[in-house]
Amino acid sequence: MSGAAKFKNNVKISERHGAGEWAAERVLLVILLPLGLWVASTGFTLAGAAYKVVLDWFASPLNAGLLAVTAVVFFCYVSLAWKVILEDYVPQPGARKALLGLLNLVFLVLAAASVFFIVRLALGSAPLPAGLGA
Amino acid sequence: MTQPSPTPGVASGDRTGRFVTQPNGHVTPLSPHMDIWRWHVTMAASILFRATIIAATVGVLFVTAWLGALACGPEAYETALALAGSPLGLFVGFGLTAVLFSFILNGARHTINDTGNGLTIKTSTTLSNIAVWAPVPLAVLFWVVLFAVGRVSL
Repeated sequence: MSGAAKFKNNVKISERHGAGEWAAERVLLVILLPLGLWVASTGFTLAGAAYKVVLDWFASPLNAGLLAVTAVVFFCYVSLAWKVILEDYVPQPGARKALLGLLNLVFLVLAAASVFFIVRLALGSAPLPAGLGA
Repeated sequence: MTQPSPTPGVASGDRTGRFVTQPNGHVTPLSPHMDIWRWHVTMAASILFRATIIAATVGVLFVTAWLGALACGPEAYETALALAGSPLGLFVGFGLTAVLFSFILNGARHTINDTGNGLTIKTSTTLSNIAVWAPVPLAVLFWVVLFAVGRVSL
């Protein structure tokens, strides 16, 4: 679509990385399926729970670890998924690249924030403004 | 690059009787699929998976906000809990569970089909029907049980 195709050893560059991206989408989705079931059961356990109960849940390293893994895998997956969606509906290469870059930035910030919150909750840190110059 | 000269469409085997000029100058018969497709649930499942991922991207903002409120201490968490317990909050919560179940079921369908399984018309239709419809009763059940055991109330 954008410009002339680039070749390396007579093979189109796009034919070298496309398969890896496709495989990554499937692997991430397969990881997300059992994690999704676990998130559903967690949501059921923690719906409407008191602050203390939720903190006790986060005090378990297994819970906190699984949630952090879920967050990171999820944002990696949606990044690839949005790339596919943008490639289908945004024909201008510049706009597509800009949108994808913007979304990836948002996903990176959200993933970092989630892991940051989860680690603090898991460690039982003081409520948040503490430690941030307050 | 030299532009290929327009070639006339090949009439043999053409069932449309209509021709279109392609961007490269070729004149070809109109793709018959534009005329003869009909709605099928596999199509809905495929489109819904995309919609589900978009909805899940929005939904995860609420989950991140919940994490942030928790990290900000009991008062912030109480505020978040009050918002989640309001009628609008419960509506959003129901949507989040429906999206989650849709993601799991449709993702499972996608994975099964990607491994080359379940691609006969009958099986793919069944899998698609499950992926499209089952999230709704599952989400309803989820919330009915939550209300029934008194964990959530209006």
